[in-house]
Amino acid sequence: MSVDAWIAFAKGPLFALSFLIMMLGLGRQVALQLYFISSKKGRRLRGVPWKSVARETLSWAVPVRHMQPGTELFTASSFLMHIGIVLVPPLLIDHIVLWEHFLGVRLPALGRDTADVLTLLTIACGLLLLSLRTFAARHRMVSRPTDFLLLPLVILPFLSGYVAGHPGVNPFPWNAMMLTHLLSAELLFVLMPFTKLVHVVLFFFDRISAVYWQLRPGAGAKIAEALYGEEARV
Amino acid sequence: MEAEAGYQGEAPSPRRRVFPYHVLQRPDEKLVDRFLEAFAWVLEYTDYKPLLDSYSRSTAKCNRCAVACPILLASGDPRDIPCYRTNILLDIYRRYFTLGGWASSRLSTPFELTEDLIDEMGDVFYRCTVCRRCTRSCPLGFDHGLITRLGRYLLSLIGIVPKALQVSVREQLLGETHNTSKVPRAGLLDVLDFLSEEMAESLGVKLEFPTDKTGRDYVFFCAVSDYLMEPDTLMGNAAVLYAAGDWDRWTIGLCNYDGINYGLFYSDWHLESIIKQLVSEVHRLQGRNILIGECGHASRAAHDFIPAFMGKSAPPVYNFMEYTLDCLRQGKITLDPDVITERVTYHDPCNIARSGWIVEQPREILRSFIPDFVEMTPRGADNFCCGGGGGLVSIDELHEFRMEIAGKVKAEQIERTGADLVVAPCANCKKQLKEIVEHYHLPCRVVGLHDLILRAIDIPGGTPPAERKEAAALLEV
Repeated sequence: MSVDAWIAFAKGPLFALSFLIMMLGLGRQVALQLYFISSKKGRRLRGVPWKSVARETLSWAVPVRHMQPGTELFTASSFLMHIGIVLVPPLLIDHIVLWEHFLGVRLPALGRDTADVLTLLTIACGLLLLSLRTFAARHRMVSRPTDFLLLPLVILPFLSGYVAGHPGVNPFPWNAMMLTHLLSAELLFVLMPFTKLVHVVLFFFDRISAVYWQLRPGAGAKIAEALYGEEARV
Repeated sequence: MEAEAGYQGEAPSPRRRVFPYHVLQRPDEKLVDRFLEAFAWVLEYTDYKPLLDSYSRSTAKCNRCAVACPILLASGDPRDIPCYRTNILLDIYRRYFTLGGWASSRLSTPFELTEDLIDEMGDVFYRCTVCRRCTRSCPLGFDHGLITRLGRYLLSLIGIVPKALQVSVREQLLGETHNTSKVPRAGLLDVLDFLSEEMAESLGVKLEFPTDKTGRDYVFFCAVSDYLMEPDTLMGNAAVLYAAGDWDRWTIGLCNYDGINYGLFYSDWHLESIIKQLVSEVHRLQGRNILIGECGHASRAAHDFIPAFMGKSAPPVYNFMEYTLDCLRQGKITLDPDVITERVTYHDPCNIARSGWIVEQPREILRSFIPDFVEMTPRGADNFCCGGGGGLVSIDELHEFRMEIAGKVKAEQIERTGADLVVAPCANCKKQLKEIVEHYHLPCRVVGLHDLILRAIDIPGGTPPAERKEAAALLEV
């Protein structure tokens, strides 16, 4: 198959498949969270400070007041990177055509210059975060191999997309760069529900820990009995 | 420290376990298998599975929790990074209880639970005070305190739990006295008589503490250790009740008078059992509300978990400071603003402040009669833990850890205020902060909020606060 044929495949069926996997996977996570919260309602929901949880969650979307000493670099980098991640993929003019074709939705377009700035910011902040994770001892200690792999995977579609869209900085054939862009983005779609990228939806649910503190009555005694039978003792 | 001979003659473990605290151990053959079995039953019967699933999927390991943890700030030990500790449990969950974890163990270097890792959990989960300050710093809102507690619960199910906590809980649930300090009923009555005499002498009113009265609005519980160690706090509580005209509206139960609930620190099973015991006393006395004295974890255990376990029949729970503020606002009590001239600061107990429940109430009370009140920085829900939370203050073997590491940031914070008096409305915080003050030679004293109220409150028909102040000054001379 020629590179152009691969591009057509990646823009067509492969895009649809990977997007579907992403939506179904993320949708499943949302459904599970809503099911858990709503099941056994009453006891579980009593005493949960919903307004405070919602306010706190939304405050993290723009974490200005969460800039604690020692976290400024990480917080700022992460925030700026996320702005690009959230805005550029859906609102870049080249992508709007795709959304209209597959979903019948026409979104407002980002200006080309704005998109370029956000893209470069995303790449730079992503590299900075990767450096922090690699070279700062505390970050390195809690990191697993996937934590090191995911950042480059997130950066790659932005980098390849920018390079493909700016021939002046592209040392490779355009169609090779475009194919890289498509495949790397679609790989992210597929990985999203199965890696920590799932925080795109779980971000809205992880904070309701008050729900989890609503312990199930009788559970402790059942567990003790299951483990020790009649020998269960304090 | 080696495991010693067990409680009531249980055989000691043949394997040397190295924990920084004494344990009472069940036989630990196949420890790994028992841990996983316990984990499986916990997932079966509780609601922790969705929590672990959610956390294990989305954990970012961004390390923001690290800057919030007072223990890590003092120790610099990477084991104290909250998400490091949380991820131990998440890794175990993922490996043994998820399809993805099982699959990845076959594709790459498998993560395996070992006895050494269990030993590490026994250490690191008790290097945390469960203050949950890290939760406020986590972009995803992970409740690392809840995970620490779950880790401790799992360990307790295989017999790894500090002896100090376990012995206290056994006495509270199974012992004759049904309280953690083994204070017999006769001892309690002696203490109450003593407090009555003290109040008669200092306040000028003769009051008999109402015990085992039925049909009262409030059944009072405090940390039972307060009866032995905090007479001023209890007399302050009593003074408020009397001055507000509510002396006939409250009582202390003689079958159960201990609000302490160490189950909150390490065991869902014991947490519920102790809650049920407490509520049973309230029902026996036909009390309408529960009034908890100055104890953070007792307040939180009752306030948050009585509704969780007892459902719609749960009696309302109030912290005493809520009651006092209510009386103050309604004009039922007055406090003399000329009695306390020392500089006063306020320490927020984690269990009542972190959630935002009790933050401004004590400040409103203090500002009404303390002319020189200074805040700590940070304050309120962001305040630092005393370093003795999560049951650590009750574990003598951890004294050095509490002083040198867990309480170090707090000591510096107190020193910066320049305060003469540190108000700490929590029995555990008081013990920890008093030890910190002594250890770091801080020029201040630790008191309860109602200790100060006792000095300043106007008692109807009693000695005015200014006269009491003069009399106290003469005694000191």
